[in-house]
Amino acid sequence: MGSKGSAQAKNKRGVWGWLNPYHYNLERWAYVFQRVTGVAILLYVLGHLGDTSFFVGGPIGTGPSESSWAFISGIVENSFGHLILVLVVLIVFFHGMNGIRLILSEFGLIFRKPSAIEYPYRPKSMNQFQRYLVWIAIAAAIIGAAWAWMILFG
Amino acid sequence: MLVQYATAVAAVILVSVHLVMQGVLVPYATAISFGNILSIYGSGLYALFLEALLVVVLVHGFNGVRIILHEWKQTASWGTWVDIGTVIAIVASVGYGTRTVILAIFGGIAT
Repeated sequence: MGSKGSAQAKNKRGVWGWLNPYHYNLERWAYVFQRVTGVAILLYVLGHLGDTSFFVGGPIGTGPSESSWAFISGIVENSFGHLILVLVVLIVFFHGMNGIRLILSEFGLIFRKPSAIEYPYRPKSMNQFQRYLVWIAIAAAIIGAAWAWMILFG
Repeated sequence: MLVQYATAVAAVILVSVHLVMQGVLVPYATAISFGNILSIYGSGLYALFLEALLVVVLVHGFNGVRIILHEWKQTASWGTWVDIGTVIAIVASVGYGTRTVILAIFGGIAT
């Protein structure tokens, strides 16, 4: 058993170890951003449920209400609200495209066959095709955000 | 994880359709207008689509948080409460969203 301060204890850094970006590679950054964007999207969706409920008068409404909808539109339909929407589209596109990469890799569809362990051993999980998919996810996010910007601010 | 992958694929399709409907098929300003939303809720198909989107996205999201929380700690009680909390969160949020859809279709129009 390791005592506090020992090598074992230093390995058990919990969520702070998870967030420490030292020695991160592209795959690790993609993993972190997949989780961060996932939580952010969930929070946005919960807020979206709240604001769209004003179409029927909010939490205490009984049916479609134009005044209630105008009230919430006055709050969210402005430059700041549209900027938030552009950011949401950015993270949704990244999360979706990176998620597709993760599903393909989880089912082994984009891995090469394992090779003999020879120095310097490069894991087949992060081959060049996987790197391309991460960059494609980033590019799709930027293109999606630009498209949303054109729609909302154009 | 199978739930996560299945809802992920469904969410990619449904969210794409939602984004296209909100800004490509009709101009954004028209898409979010009260009259337009009221008219498309009259189509039961759109209501079903929104309900499916609601369920898929919320199950995917809360299950994702459940996975993160399970990775954080691995005690039996923590795992049990995380699972219970996830189910409660999904039921509550899907319930609230479904209420909006139902009231939009069947609720009386207020002034």
